[in-house]
Amino acid sequence: MGEFFQALVRHSFLQHALLAGLLVSLSCGIVGTYVVTRRITYLAGGIAHCVLGGMGVARYMQVVHGWAFFEPLLGAVIAALGAAFIIGWINIRAKERIDTVISAFWGMGMAVGILFISKTPGYGEDMMSYLFGNILLVTQRDLLIIAGLDLLIVATALLFHKQFVAVCFDEEFARLRGINAPFFYFLMLALTALTVVLMVSIVGIVMVIVLLTLPAAIAGRFCRRMGPMMALAAVLCALLTTSGLALSYQPDLPAGAAIIILTGIVYLATVVLKRQ
Amino acid sequence: MKPPIHIENLDFSYGNISVLEQVNLSISDKEFVCMVGPNGGGKTTLLKLLLGLLEPQAGTVSVFGENPTAGRKWIGYLPQHAHLDSKFPVTALDAVLMGRLGKTRGIGPYTRIDRAMACDMLNRVGLEKLAKRPLATLSGGQRQRVLIARALVSEPRLLLLDEPTSSLDDYVERELYDLLLELNEELTVVVVTHDIGFVSSYVDKVVCVNRQVRIHPTSEIDENIIHDMYGEHVHMVRHDQEHGHG
Repeated sequence: MGEFFQALVRHSFLQHALLAGLLVSLSCGIVGTYVVTRRITYLAGGIAHCVLGGMGVARYMQVVHGWAFFEPLLGAVIAALGAAFIIGWINIRAKERIDTVISAFWGMGMAVGILFISKTPGYGEDMMSYLFGNILLVTQRDLLIIAGLDLLIVATALLFHKQFVAVCFDEEFARLRGINAPFFYFLMLALTALTVVLMVSIVGIVMVIVLLTLPAAIAGRFCRRMGPMMALAAVLCALLTTSGLALSYQPDLPAGAAIIILTGIVYLATVVLKRQ
Repeated sequence: MKPPIHIENLDFSYGNISVLEQVNLSISDKEFVCMVGPNGGGKTTLLKLLLGLLEPQAGTVSVFGENPTAGRKWIGYLPQHAHLDSKFPVTALDAVLMGRLGKTRGIGPYTRIDRAMACDMLNRVGLEKLAKRPLATLSGGQRQRVLIARALVSEPRLLLLDEPTSSLDDYVERELYDLLLELNEELTVVVVTHDIGFVSSYVDKVVCVNRQVRIHPTSEIDENIIHDMYGEHVHMVRHDQEHGHG
């Protein structure tokens, strides 16, 4: 632990990693609370896995066709927003079983990503960092992008907090009171998609859903209102990413996996110790 | 003044399954009406048509002279409470405040006026001391009254309640109807319910919904209504009798 803090002073990559974790925690607390109370964890998982498709396509275009502007992060944003919109639309419009639809997108998103990445020269490392995250590779520019998206998410959530809460609690009633419920549902999915993209850089696609939902789920056991639940979830997320990072540094473990294990342990502990 | 509810020659079906046929119904201002009928008879469908959540295949529905989508701003609606997540993290006051949506400003938190009105309504339903309590810790009857306060805080002129007493014991149910009777001095009240026997002492009019709609003034409450409520075979018995006499 002590070595981590010494290293933190010396190495800017660790400072970036720490800052990224703290920034992402803000969105995580807010959006995670929506996802948990509205019970769309599985939908968020589907969106996360579609992100691989977007990142794979973008990386392929960059390397093979020289589209320098098409960064994996941009591909991730497009894929996440697209998946959120399509899955949400099917959920509202079609009378399909939504979990089946999500599964289809979940698998197809991954498959598209794997196909494109396998055709991209030198793919091995990319694939690993997309799937499992690499918080130590966060650059200063990444931090700016993360901060920008963070600001967008927090501002939207603050301005429309009452609409989001109403749509999560009782969508039909909100609609009867003149709230454009589908609009706020889609907006909530869009915020979820952006948050997923932010978190992918830290813990990777496969584990993002844990870090998105478990801090909110833990907070939900102690808080009886949405606002405090969001605040506590954000604090928990910040503590968990920081401690995961610190614990993984000395033994040189993958930071993402350490953060997830830690989060899971805390969650299971609260389930066992504090029965509702 | 335009009547709170006016329905003419309405037909509604889900696919080719007919749910409501040739419905005509008019409810005047400040009436206290009870809607009864068997499960699957079309009560909830009729409410959803009034709220503009469903469109009829034929006929017209008007709410205070407007189409339901426009008129529903005047309706305070209490859904069947089973469909809400009982663990959702809101307090009683938070839940009531949601009734101010559509009346309050679009951006930012609820205003001081919204809060004052919500507290007033909680007071009205006798829950002022529980305003800060989480909804999850309230009893079924208390939760039902919170949702009634939520319906009232939007300043409705018509109150639609879908089976408000389904999970309540007799004492709480009587209290609830006393509250509705008091509210009825200012607004029109329509209650969907199963237990006609008890309600009949409160209401002006009983509307039986079983594919068709029949209206009975309370003075007529007798086994005819029970017959209307409980299905085809009862009608058949009556037709047979008419046959025999004719």
